Amino acid sequence: MTSYQSRLGEGEGIAEELAESQRAISIAEFFEKNKHMLGFDSEARALVTAVKEAVDNALDACEEAGILPDIYVEIQESGDYYKLVVEDNGPGITKEQAPKIFGKLLYGSRFHAREQNRGQQGIGISAAVLYSQLTSGKPAKITSRPKGQDEAQYFELIVDTDTNEPEISVDETTTWERPHGTRIELEMEANMRARSTLRDYIQDTAVVNPHARIEFDEPGLDESLKFERAERAELPDETEEIRPHPHGVELGTLLKMLEATDSYSVSGFMQEEFTRVGGKTADSVIANFNDRHYGRGMAWQPPKVNEDADIEAAVEDAVANKGAETTATFAAAVSDAIHDRDRVAYHEVESIVDEAADEAEADGDTTFGATVRENAVDAAWVAVTDELTADLYALVDDVTTKRKDDAAIEGLASRLADKFADEGRHQLTRDELRGYIDRAADMTEEQDDATYGDTARENVFEALWTAAEGVPEEPPKVADIADDRDTASELLSAMRETDIIAPPTDCLSPISSELVEEGLRKEFDADFYAASTRDASVHGGDPFIVEAGIAYGGELEAEGPVDVMRFANRVPLVYQRGACATTDVVKSIRWRNYNLDQPGGSGIPKGPAVIMVHVASTNVPFTSESKDAIANVPEMEDEIELAIREAARELKSYLNKRQSMQQRREKQDKLATILPEMAEKLTEVTGNDDLHIDDSLARIMNNVLVEREVEDGTVRVHIENNDDTNADVELTDIVTAEPQDTNGATVVEMDGEWFVKWSPTVGAGETAVLEYSVAGEAEFTVSVDGIEDEKLTVNA
Amino acid sequence: MSTDSDTTPDTEEAREQLIDLAADFYDQFADGEVPTMTIPTRTKSNIVFDEDEQVWVYGDRNSTRSAKTISGAEKILKAVYTIDFLSQQLEEDRSSTLRELYYLSESWDLDEAQFNTQDESNNLIEDLEIVSDVKREDFHMRPEESGAKVMGPLLLREQTNRGDREIHCQDDVGQGGYQIPNNPDTIEFLDNDAKFVLCVETGGMRDRLVENGFDDEYDALVVHLGGQPARATRRLIKRLHDELGLPVTVFTDGDPWSYRIFGSVSYGSIKSAHLSEYLATPEAQFIGIRPEDIVEYELPTDPLSDSDVNALESELEDPRFQTEFWEEQIELQLDINKKAEQQALASRGLDFVTDTYLPERLDEMGLL
Repeated sequence: MTSYQSRLGEGEGIAEELAESQRAISIAEFFEKNKHMLGFDSEARALVTAVKEAVDNALDACEEAGILPDIYVEIQESGDYYKLVVEDNGPGITKEQAPKIFGKLLYGSRFHAREQNRGQQGIGISAAVLYSQLTSGKPAKITSRPKGQDEAQYFELIVDTDTNEPEISVDETTTWERPHGTRIELEMEANMRARSTLRDYIQDTAVVNPHARIEFDEPGLDESLKFERAERAELPDETEEIRPHPHGVELGTLLKMLEATDSYSVSGFMQEEFTRVGGKTADSVIANFNDRHYGRGMAWQPPKVNEDADIEAAVEDAVANKGAETTATFAAAVSDAIHDRDRVAYHEVESIVDEAADEAEADGDTTFGATVRENAVDAAWVAVTDELTADLYALVDDVTTKRKDDAAIEGLASRLADKFADEGRHQLTRDELRGYIDRAADMTEEQDDATYGDTARENVFEALWTAAEGVPEEPPKVADIADDRDTASELLSAMRETDIIAPPTDCLSPISSELVEEGLRKEFDADFYAASTRDASVHGGDPFIVEAGIAYGGELEAEGPVDVMRFANRVPLVYQRGACATTDVVKSIRWRNYNLDQPGGSGIPKGPAVIMVHVASTNVPFTSESKDAIANVPEMEDEIELAIREAARELKSYLNKRQSMQQRREKQDKLATILPEMAEKLTEVTGNDDLHIDDSLARIMNNVLVEREVEDGTVRVHIENNDDTNADVELTDIVTAEPQDTNGATVVEMDGEWFVKWSPTVGAGETAVLEYSVAGEAEFTVSVDGIEDEKLTVNA
Repeated sequence: MSTDSDTTPDTEEAREQLIDLAADFYDQFADGEVPTMTIPTRTKSNIVFDEDEQVWVYGDRNSTRSAKTISGAEKILKAVYTIDFLSQQLEEDRSSTLRELYYLSESWDLDEAQFNTQDESNNLIEDLEIVSDVKREDFHMRPEESGAKVMGPLLLREQTNRGDREIHCQDDVGQGGYQIPNNPDTIEFLDNDAKFVLCVETGGMRDRLVENGFDDEYDALVVHLGGQPARATRRLIKRLHDELGLPVTVFTDGDPWSYRIFGSVSYGSIKSAHLSEYLATPEAQFIGIRPEDIVEYELPTDPLSDSDVNALESELEDPRFQTEFWEEQIELQLDINKKAEQQALASRGLDFVTDTYLPERLDEMGLL
């Protein structure tokens, strides 16, 4: 639930505009009975949920107003109750809006619109307000100060749970030190048993909202916890609201939309209220709807020449008093038009007759009235449907297995023909047609000792349904559908079975892998961080993006399973870890492949790591209203897995590298003991001078060896790469005399010292030489960057 | 390789060779190079037949130990410490055993320089022999077990720490025979009535031959090999052959392991192929027990075990055994799947070996 605060500098106009798209739904009483669904089932949990809703709300308010959020959360002991205080630096709210915002459940435009935002269903802060009122009997206390106003407003608000009407009991001006923002105080029955959960929630929120500064205080803390804003963090991109996609709505939502729309026709409604629906798509939806609502008209092959039925004669007989010639011409025209077709349905016969009649009228001065036309249609239809068994036999024979004997097919065809004989227009819905087939098949099984299994029946059904023609009826008006649940359900099914392009994905605003990493870096003191952001994907009618991050090593707890942090639309998911798709995916990955310890080869891996997953969507599929766990939607699980694997691959190469560096260090340590001893012994045995073994050591360690050689004022710095990969070296030689002829190196003078900077890439096994000259005596200090210490030997 | 047995380097020379080796490592360090030690690969696949000397020596394949790896650096370190020790030993004109070297390394200040097993120190001494071109005996390193025993009509003079001794290997020795010293090059042959040398694998068979007076009756120098013959034993056999012109015969059990004993007397061992020219007696002849004898004399046998079969098959691929005689015999043995010990001849009576088997075989070989 957002949008309740007017935007900075835009005054009430925006607030009113927003208010226009808001509707009230009275479920205050419903809340009392369904606290558990909303996350208020225990006292400990209620406090967490209240904090969560209030913080989400505050963050959304700031972001919508384009303000970097600065949130203060405090929990105080207050007699038998706990008092929750949440402050933000948002744009403040108007006096008129406050009660609506905090007082009514399901109040807000969010319920219909599709946009990536925290609350999503409008059942957020108001539930917390209601809970506090129900348990403590105290009103919600709200302080708000819009920007630029000298004074702040103070309200006390209480909800009438019978009418879902909020009432303001106190309304006065007050002073407040924040220049703008909102403060809400709620007193409630609660306890602090979920203290660690609360702290985790706040920390997690800080990780996933690196652009926010958050401070948290509760009675158990000596001083408040402060979570600072990440340096480079900016406000998330504003998300764009998109209309719902036809594949992503539920029946309840559809009914509300039907009620609320200004559109008159179904086609207009579809195009107006949904994304990705144009004229053509709307027509497809309507055709599918009509099939369900009106059914299809069964179409039959016109009688063959050798059959008894004669359409022309029948039509001629049915037309009276129109003159022989006119009648004959008319009858021939009808007959020809019917025979031109492969199959013909009742409504097609109607239009053929109408056309022929219109023509006849145009040719002479005869009039073909409605009755005449009806008679002609009936006569022609009787002729067409005179013999159905042969037609049906062909259809059935086509789709049933060759093993079925003629008698069985004949039996089914003739029984089906009998069913059609009862009904004039042969117009029927899927269910009716399926009923015909089932009954005919049952009879055939019973009497002809044949079998028609489900597959055979389904095939026959498909053949007949395909042969049938959609009827050219107008769908009911939107207002009528809105009143009729069954019809609306038919429309929903029609929408779902129509192929429609996936919804646009640019309406999502992921955190971005850079900021995911920044968030982790800010809150966890680890050695390594990786993050990934997937491209947008779609489930149902809703686009979504998955992001993952991993932190490893450092101060992270090395014992026990890794910490899995779950987020949906920048909100930490606190409860029901085990029921969450994210957890399932983490468990299913073979972490040993990524060099993490995983006892038994499955389950949550162990070690000093944090794995975070963020799902951003216009509609995150939660397992319940309390929005604690992401449902197991296959498309989403796939994306979660890919995002985690992407980050895990970086972790793997880091761990590999770390291991090889470790081995290198161990080898270096060992050789650093052995080789000097060897050199000393050799000196002793041979009686020669002391040995310098740095060069040998560098070569042994596959190191990059930097050496200097000075001769007659010419300085040569050698960089010898003994490794088997290229080395990108940044070398700075600090010289106390001015260097000449520096061969492309950059030279900067500072306080009588010259910094000769040179950045060569030295291939494996190669040596690069930087040569320059100095006049007179000089001292040199070299510093080398770009090479790990383990791999560098400087001998200059 | 100092192949000429007459010109063994004296102590100072040996010491210098060792120090030169250390100097090579020193120079590699001084040049900023990685110290390395290259030695021939000491496996079956890297021995070749030296046509001139008629013995098997190492081929062209080399293994390099480089200080680039920890294990290579440790090997070179141990080599340097050992060189230091040996050069001091030579300077003081003392000697020590291989086992003493192994324990002595415990006293070295650096853990990495100490030997982990005696095999390691033994191998290192052999490596040093190869790269320094000096024999172990000239480093004054001796094996723990000394050479075997000789019984027969031979008069010799041995330089001992307690002065020179003249010894007749029948008249001046007990039933056990003359004990071969660690460095048989300290022996000078004075006189002999021997017609041939008979090397015997097992102690039991040697005692049988001596008890039956075989050495006396046939003027044989009976040399006890005692399993795989020590270097001193092989060296003495070679000298008996080269200097006294005595034919050498070898009498062992009839199983693949005994054929290897013959192989090391005759062709040289793989591990000491660098010394083949100094130790091997290519002219040595195999008496038996041949697989053929097992069949011919219907000797009591044991079935071949799996490892026997593997050893026989591996011998078929061993370049040293790729002769018509050995291929025939080994294939026969695989065929009959049996092996027999020397003592199995006792099944025909205690005198069968001296009265019948050996005279028949030696006659066949044209030595009687």
